[in-house]
Amino acid sequence: MLRHPFNAPRLLAGGMLLMLITAGHASGQDVQISDARLSLLPGEQPGAGYFQLHNTGDEAAVLVGAQSDAFEEVEIHVSSEENGMAHMHALEQLEIEAGERFEFAPKGHHLMFIGRKQTLSEGDDVEVLLEFDDAQPLPVTFDVVSPASL
Amino acid sequence: MVKRVFIVLASLWLVGCGERSWRTAETHEIMPPLDFSLIDEDGQSVEAEDYQGKVTLVYFGYTYCPDVCPITLARLSGTLNRLDDDVRDDIQVLFISVDPKRDTAEVVKRYTNAFGSEFIGITGDLAEIDALTNRMRVTYEYEEPNQRGDYIVTHTSAVFAFDREGEAQFLVRDSHPISDAVADIKRLVAEES
Repeated sequence: MLRHPFNAPRLLAGGMLLMLITAGHASGQDVQISDARLSLLPGEQPGAGYFQLHNTGDEAAVLVGAQSDAFEEVEIHVSSEENGMAHMHALEQLEIEAGERFEFAPKGHHLMFIGRKQTLSEGDDVEVLLEFDDAQPLPVTFDVVSPASL
Repeated sequence: MVKRVFIVLASLWLVGCGERSWRTAETHEIMPPLDFSLIDEDGQSVEAEDYQGKVTLVYFGYTYCPDVCPITLARLSGTLNRLDDDVRDDIQVLFISVDPKRDTAEVVKRYTNAFGSEFIGITGDLAEIDALTNRMRVTYEYEEPNQRGDYIVTHTSAVFAFDREGEAQFLVRDSHPISDAVADIKRLVAEES
């Protein structure tokens, strides 16, 4: 390495690494979201958001909430089953470790979308801002789907 | 080896008895026949007897539930779609709300219509719903309401199957493979038609 002090790609790589280190915490850009779906039924009933989250950063990412112009409230919820009973409760926050892939999936973690402000139907897109502790909110587009597709 | 012979003998004995053994969980011995006086999705008073003549699947839930209830009903709908049309015509699914305050007839109708024509929404007086859940020994519980007045309901997660006479036969849990549920429902419809 010392023999090639002006090796451009290495300098570039080194610079990028430095930027990552100085960032200090997982930023919005370090979290990748895929397969974002909003399961919704006709009527006023709340919907559920499912997606895969990949924390590609070096620090834990802490999801603290979400919001959308299409809904009055968006909450982080988790469903569970115990002794044949279906439970659900809200979470204040959710920590995703550096490098971790986490799935928001049916009958597990989900976003609960409450109080729709506009008519939505299958095939529509809904813009959602995922809010992280100490980082920029991350805009994500959710596809409106029927629960039958999940 | 001895153990294996015993298992074979035991299964032969079960078959010999003509005892119905379901792949899912059997309820015939532990659950009384279906019996209720509630309100259907068109606002009409209905009794359990009104639903005799078809195989009846019962799920207790509430429409404010965004995840478990619609996913369970959607999977049940997917399960029924694996059956032939003539088999499906002999099946009805009752979605019985344990949250009648929010789930009016109109609400449960719109909700169940999303899953298919076999799905019928049922609501009613809380006292009548309690009479049914107590009888079936299933429970539900309201959580504390939040600032908006919304509340979560904890409820039983199984789907209960009754024969054409309203006799309890089996229940299906999430942990049962869909193929087992399909086989049992098919058999229940076939045995009695």
